[in-house]
Amino acid sequence: MRRLKRPDRVELLQGTLDLLVLRTLLFAPMHGHGIAKAIQRNSEDLLLVQHGSLYPALHRMVQKGWLDSRWQDAPKGRPMKFYRLTTAGRSQVATEQSKWEQVCRAIGLVLKRAEG
Amino acid sequence: MKRWVGQFRELWTRERREADLERELRSHLEAEVEEQLEAGTPPEEAHYTARRALGNVTLTQEDTRATWGWPTLEALIQDLRLGFRLLRRDRAFAVFSVLSLALGVGATSAVFSLFDAIVLRQLPVREPERLVVLSFTLPGQSPNSNLPYPHFERMRSEARTLDGLFAWTTVPRISVGFEGRTELAAAVGVTGEYHRALGLRPALGRLLTPEDDRSGHAAVAVISHGYWRRRFGGSASVLEHGITINQVPFMLVGVEPAGFRGVTVGSSVDVTFPIRARDLLSEHPASWDEPFATWIEVMGRLKAEVSVQEAERDLNLTFRRVNADAAQSVPTNSFAARVAREANLRLESGSTGGFSNLRHGYESWLRLLLAMLGVVLVLACLNVATLLLSRSETRRQEIATRLALGAGRWRIVRQLVTEAGLIAAFGGALGVVLAWWGSRTLLGLATPNSVPLPLDLGPSLSVIGFTAAVSGLSCLVVGVLPALRSTALGPGRATREIGSWKRRLVDRVLVGSQVALSMVLLVFAGLFVRSLQNLWKVDTGYDRSNVLMFSVDAHLAGKRGRDIPGTYRRLLDQLAGLPGARAASVSSVRPVTDSYYFISTVTSVGKKTLPDDRPLRIAFNNVSPGYFATLGILLVRGRDFDRRDDGNSPPVVIVSEKLARHFDGNAVGQRMRLGRNELREVVGVAKDSRYANIKNAPREVAYLPMFQARPEGMDYSPTFEVRFSGPLPELLDRVGEAVGQVEPQLTPFRVKTLEVQTQESLSRERLLALLASYFGGFALLLACIGLYGLMTDAVRQRTPELGLRMALGAPPSNIRWTVMRDSSLTVAIGALAGVLGSLAGVRLVESQLHGLDPANPLVLTAATALLLALASAAAYVPAHRAARIDPMTALRQE
Repeated sequence: MRRLKRPDRVELLQGTLDLLVLRTLLFAPMHGHGIAKAIQRNSEDLLLVQHGSLYPALHRMVQKGWLDSRWQDAPKGRPMKFYRLTTAGRSQVATEQSKWEQVCRAIGLVLKRAEG
Repeated sequence: MKRWVGQFRELWTRERREADLERELRSHLEAEVEEQLEAGTPPEEAHYTARRALGNVTLTQEDTRATWGWPTLEALIQDLRLGFRLLRRDRAFAVFSVLSLALGVGATSAVFSLFDAIVLRQLPVREPERLVVLSFTLPGQSPNSNLPYPHFERMRSEARTLDGLFAWTTVPRISVGFEGRTELAAAVGVTGEYHRALGLRPALGRLLTPEDDRSGHAAVAVISHGYWRRRFGGSASVLEHGITINQVPFMLVGVEPAGFRGVTVGSSVDVTFPIRARDLLSEHPASWDEPFATWIEVMGRLKAEVSVQEAERDLNLTFRRVNADAAQSVPTNSFAARVAREANLRLESGSTGGFSNLRHGYESWLRLLLAMLGVVLVLACLNVATLLLSRSETRRQEIATRLALGAGRWRIVRQLVTEAGLIAAFGGALGVVLAWWGSRTLLGLATPNSVPLPLDLGPSLSVIGFTAAVSGLSCLVVGVLPALRSTALGPGRATREIGSWKRRLVDRVLVGSQVALSMVLLVFAGLFVRSLQNLWKVDTGYDRSNVLMFSVDAHLAGKRGRDIPGTYRRLLDQLAGLPGARAASVSSVRPVTDSYYFISTVTSVGKKTLPDDRPLRIAFNNVSPGYFATLGILLVRGRDFDRRDDGNSPPVVIVSEKLARHFDGNAVGQRMRLGRNELREVVGVAKDSRYANIKNAPREVAYLPMFQARPEGMDYSPTFEVRFSGPLPELLDRVGEAVGQVEPQLTPFRVKTLEVQTQESLSRERLLALLASYFGGFALLLACIGLYGLMTDAVRQRTPELGLRMALGAPPSNIRWTVMRDSSLTVAIGALAGVLGSLAGVRLVESQLHGLDPANPLVLTAATALLLALASAAAYVPAHRAARIDPMTALRQE
C-alpha cells in the first residue's frame, strides 16, 4: 500500500548555498535573517536554510571579498547587520551560476542515460 | 606582508568581532521571534521556536569564527613557543647550531659590510645615480682616470648632456696652521662647480663657487664636518678666523655637510680649496694648458633623461677635438701623438664616487673572501641540517604519533621549519653582532699600523638586508629538508621503519658535501699560506731588517724653491751623523709602497735610438748618495752617486740590471736618453730589486741623483731611510730631535721600519691566508662533527645486526673495521669531490697566488692527509663504541 506523501523539504546540495545567497543579494542588501527567509520563500518553502551554515557562509564570503557588511536599521527599527554584494561578488554570481548549470546538465545527462 | 599586518590587526580586533557576531545572532533571533509573534504563535512558544530554528548557537559561532581565517599567526606563535621549549630541552644542540650559524652569518656579513662600504655604498649627495666618472682609454690599455686640464675646460663649456662637470686633484698632505698650532691634514683642490654639481648644502657658512676658482682670487677654503668637529671643536666662530695652509694664509668660508668625506672611497678629505689655489702652494704652476699632462680627476652630473652612452658620445666629440688640436704641436709618430689619435673618452656610473685605490685594491680580494665565507656559511647550514636530521630520527616516534592522531603534514612541517627558523634567527642575530665587531677587526687587520680608514661601517640597509636574506635562506635550507623527510612516511610506517637505505643516502650526501667543502677550503688555505711564504721569501733585492723610514715635506713648512733640496740635504747630513745610524739616504719613491711611483720613457740606449712610438717604459726614482748602501742593494758595477752629482755636474744615472741588459756590452760609461732630451751617462748598475711593490716582477729602473734631479722631483714628500744598529726607540727620539733642529716646522710622518712596511704591503695576502686557515679549520671541525653524528646514527641503527655478528663470534676489530669502512666511502667520495672542486676553483684565485702552481701537489696531499686523519678520528669513536656492544643487550632490542 502506498501513501501519497507531501513533498518534503529538500536538503541543500553542498556549495549551492553560496550561489543562493549571492543571487538573493543581487537585488538589494539584506540581513542574515532576511536572506534565509527570502531563499525559503522564493523556493516555495522547498529549501530550508540551516542558520548554522548560513552565518559561516556569510562570513566566509566577506573574507573572500564577495560581500561586505554594515550595521543598519532594519525597516522595523531594529539595527541589523546588512550584507551587500561587492563588485567581486557580482562577477562571482555569474561564475557560481554557470558552475551550477554545468552540474545540472551533467546530472541530467547521467539520469537520461540511466533511463534510456 | 599586507596579509600579516591584517592578521595582527585581527588579533587585536578579535574580541570586537566576537561581540559583533554575538550581536548579529541575537538580532537574528529577535527578528525570528517577532516573526513568530506576528504569525500568531504565543509569546513563550515563539521564543522556543525561534531558538530551535536558529539551532546550536555556540556551534554556529565556532563555525563562523573558523571562517575568519586568522589562525596562521596564532599557529605561528604556538609553533614558536613549542620550538623554544624543545630547544631549551636540547641545549647542547641548540647552542652548537646557533653558534655555527652565527659564525657563518657573522663572518659573511662582516665581509659584506666591508664590501658594501668600499664597493657598493653610494655617495651621500643628491641623486648620486646621475653622477658619472670620466676616464680615457687607449686600445689595449687599462683606462686612465687622470685627465688633462685643457680637455676638462673645453668639455665643461661645450657639454650639452651634463648638468655640471667638475674636476679635482688630491693633495694628500698639507699643514694647517690655526692659532699658532700646525697639524697635517688631507686636502683636495676642486673646480668651482664641485659643490653645486654634487648638490651639497653647507652645514655652516657657504661652499665653494665658480667665482672662488679663478687665478688671482682670494685664497678661500672649506672644511669637512668631521675636521670641523675634530680640529675646531665644531665652533661656529671658526669662520671669522683665518688658517694657514703650508704657511700661506687662507680664509675659511664654510663647513661641508656631515657624512660627506669627498668623492673618493677610503680617503677622507679635511680641507677643500679651489683648484686654482694650488698654485699658491707650489712654486711651479700646475699644468693648466698642457694637453698631455694628466693630473685631474673628473666627474659630471647627467641631465635628467640622458643616458651614460649619450653623454659619452657628446663629451668624446669635444675630447677628440681637443686632442686633434693638441696633436699639431707634437711629432706625428710620437707617443703623445698616438694618444691624441687613439684615445677615447669613457664614462661610467659615478654613484659610488671616483676612482678609488682602496676599491681597486680590495674589490677582488673582498669578492674572494666573500665567496670563501659563503662556502663556510653553506657548510654551517649543511651541518645544522644534518644535526636536525639526526635529531628528527629521535623524534620519529613523536611525529608519527602526531600524524596518527590526525595532524596535517603541513602543520608538522611548518612546526619543524619554525624550529629551524628559530635557530636561524638566533644565529642571524648573533651573526649581526659578530659582523659589527668583525668588520672593524677585519679592516684593522687588512690595513695594520695605520690610521683607521675613514669608512662608514655602520649597518646600512643593504647589509641588514643581506644578513636577513642569508639567515632566511639558511633557515630554509636547514629546516625544510629534515621536516619533509621526517613527515614523508605515513603514520603506520613511520613508527616502524628506521633508516632505510634511501634515508641514509641523504645523510651521506649531506656529510659528504661537508667533507668536500671543507676540503676545498683546506686546499685554498694551503695555497694562500704557501703563496704568502713565497712572497715573504722573495728576494726583494734589499735587506729589509734594521731600516727606519720616515717622510717629511718641506713645502708644508712653507719652504719654496732651492730651500727645499737645501732642507733635505741638511736633514740628511744630520741623520748620517746620528749615533746608531750606520747609513742614511733620501729617495722620492719609498720601497714597497705604491702610494706613488714615477714612470718615464727611455728613447735611446747607448748608440741605439728606439723608435718614436715604441719607447722603453721604465720606472725611476730620485735617490741620494748612500741609498744603495742604506737599503743593502748591491751595486754590481760602477759607482754610487756622490755629493758632487748635483745641478752643476754632468747628468748621470744608475740603472738596474734589467735596464742595463738593454745596452750593448757594459752599460757603465754609455749614455741613455730619458724622455725627449735628457741625456745621462750611466755611472753604475744596481742589482735588480722590487720597485714599489713586492708582488711586481723586477722592472727596468733608472735611479737619478736626488739633488741633480728635475725640480719637479721635489714636489713630492721624500722618504728618508736610516740603517741603524741598536734599539729602535732611542733612534726614533734622536731622529725626531734631528728633524726639529733642521727645521722646527717640519713634521715627520709615515714613520715605519722597512720590515713593517713590507709586512703591511702583504697584509691582504696575510689576512687571506689567516682567514682561510681559520675557516678551513672550522670547516673541517664541522665536517667531522657531521661525520661523527652520521656514524653514531649508523651504529645505533645497526646495533642488532652488529650484536648478532658478535654473538656469532666476530672479533671486535672486525666490527670496528665494518663501521670504519662504512664511513670511509662517504669520506673518500667527499674528499675526491673536494679535490676536483678545488682544482676547478683555483683558476679563480690564480691571480692571488704568487710563485705557485694552482694545482700544487704538496698542498693537495697535505690537505687530503689532514682531512683523512681527522675524519678517521671522528669515525673511530662510534666504531670503537660499536665494538664494545654487548651482544645480549643488542639482540634484546630486536
